[in-house]
Amino acid sequence: MIGTLREILEQSWQRLAGTATTYVPPLLAATVIVLAAWFLATAVRAVFLRLTKTAWLDRFVVESGLSSLFGRTRPPQTAPLVAAVIYWLILLVGLLTGLNAFHTALTNKIVEAVVFLLPKLFAAALILLAGAWLGQYLGRSALIWAVNEGLPHPRRLAAAVRVFVVFVSVVVAADHLDFARTVFLAAFLLVVGGLVLAGSIALGLSAHGALRRHFSEPARTRAEEEKSLWNHL
Amino acid sequence: MLSEEARQAIAQVKKADIVVGVPSYNNARTIGHVVRAAQAGLSKYFPQLSAVIINSDGGSKDGTREEVLKASIEDPRLLLLATPLLPVHRLSLPYHGIPGKGSAFRMIFAMARELGARACAVVDADLRSITPEWMDLLLRPVLHVGYDFVAPYYHRHKYDGTITNSIVYPLTRALYGLRVRQPIGGDFGVSGRLLVRYLERKDWESDVARYGIDVWMTTIAIAEGYQVCQSFLGAKLHDAKDPAADLTAMLQQVVGSVFTLMREYEHVWRRVVGSRPVDLFGFRFDVGLDPIPVNLERMRHAFLSGCRELREIWSLALDPKTLEELAAVCRQAENQPRNWRLADDLWVRILLEFACAHRRMPVERGHLLRSLTPLYLGRVASFVMETESMISAEVEERIEQLCLAFEAAKPYLVARWDSAAQAPVASARPAPVEVKT
Repeated sequence: MIGTLREILEQSWQRLAGTATTYVPPLLAATVIVLAAWFLATAVRAVFLRLTKTAWLDRFVVESGLSSLFGRTRPPQTAPLVAAVIYWLILLVGLLTGLNAFHTALTNKIVEAVVFLLPKLFAAALILLAGAWLGQYLGRSALIWAVNEGLPHPRRLAAAVRVFVVFVSVVVAADHLDFARTVFLAAFLLVVGGLVLAGSIALGLSAHGALRRHFSEPARTRAEEEKSLWNHL
Repeated sequence: MLSEEARQAIAQVKKADIVVGVPSYNNARTIGHVVRAAQAGLSKYFPQLSAVIINSDGGSKDGTREEVLKASIEDPRLLLLATPLLPVHRLSLPYHGIPGKGSAFRMIFAMARELGARACAVVDADLRSITPEWMDLLLRPVLHVGYDFVAPYYHRHKYDGTITNSIVYPLTRALYGLRVRQPIGGDFGVSGRLLVRYLERKDWESDVARYGIDVWMTTIAIAEGYQVCQSFLGAKLHDAKDPAADLTAMLQQVVGSVFTLMREYEHVWRRVVGSRPVDLFGFRFDVGLDPIPVNLERMRHAFLSGCRELREIWSLALDPKTLEELAAVCRQAENQPRNWRLADDLWVRILLEFACAHRRMPVERGHLLRSLTPLYLGRVASFVMETESMISAEVEERIEQLCLAFEAAKPYLVARWDSAAQAPVASARPAPVEVKT
């Protein structure tokens, strides 16, 4: 009885020791790697913020119109943003290297998935950023046009344009990531179809009167109404 | 640059001392009169010189080109004291490229260069007040006095030429230091060497091809040191528009050209302080002018709509203090429809801050320029209310005050321009200077 118990304890201890010898060194190695990555990331961020002259970057953000995404009147602070991106990239690389130290099937799979997905995620983020920028730009164009033409509810029109463009970019990003592709595509088709239908109905209703007026007026009157292309300024 | 048709015409005419250009688009009603006046003027004042009248047409569908070719002074009712030694040729050709006045001018200038013209005059096709004397006034300073650029000087109704009076004249004068009263008048005299310089430029495919051409020509002539003068042409009668009617594109192209040229000629205007008068040819006289109807309420509504909806876009260009003052004007316009003002100093700062933002933000330039329309209409409405009971001379005095406000704000422009070039940080702004009006 005592012998059996001792045997079980010994086996248990051996398994524990085996597990410890298998996992503790990689765990220690991973911890060291992650800590080193954290130190490196913090140091690089600090050095970047201290040494890099980011006036050109701020200027680029303003000149490219990207500043409009960061707020209306606040001047852009691109240096902290770039520093944060660098910081998290270094940390991510450290984490992946640390995970890789375990060299198990699960960790290998996680690392592979992240490495495989990362470029796609990056591309999708770029698509979303471009969509947000384009939405903002076209929304503003629609807003100014509506105000100058004296149309009602210019803000709603601008918001609709913005939402539509951002929605298109979300559909493209989702398609790129293979994420709920059919759902997004179906929603996109429904929205576009609805817009085309609404536009056709509106055009048909408004063009009816305009066409009737056009054909009922003598040609001479129409020619007289046509204004010169150039005006004296 | 020139079409086969144009080349054939040049080969036939061979040489001309003078070229008169008339750009047109659906101007059949008036162009006959313009061509006859030009022809009579050339025969009367320059009978010993060979001359060509070129109509550069933008694809008119109302028989404009036929009217040009039909127009003739060989009329028994018209007596000329001088017998022309050489015939005045008339050509009517379509131009190619971006539709607009600038493209039409480009073809005229190119033909003038090929024909070896010593002087070229351009006049609008829809003028009702042109007389043969205009040819003398636009061409003689070039041919006999040695000027390179003759700008027009007209009597206009106080509400005519509102872009000129509220933006282009004061800004051009403050920037380049010459008091050219009608920098975008549309009727000019140009020397052979200056039109060669115009043709050398690479920016013909921009706003210059459209409404920007007039201010482009004037600015280049002044900024590059050509000899500039003015000629008094009398009244300018034409089908004027209500200033609130469809002007966004026009404003964008004209103001966009001014701002673009500001970047190019920064080294010139930086050194300029104050302004000086420009030689004026012709006998000045007062004439009766067509009244110009303006719709004050429509302009106020457009301004208020801009105040409500475009603050976000204006904030890209305007200083917070300017924006705040503008908001106060908006409130005033809302509460007192017939008693509100967009003051000179505020208007000056708005325009100068837009000019700096135009430099700083290339992507947003279109937005900034188009968003200027409600502000411009607000300024015009304020000007109309202020000058309602004024006579022409008093209005001119009022415009002079605005010009002085622009000149006084030059240090502010330079400081802001520099801060815009170094860093795009909105808070790095100099304190606005006191503007004496």
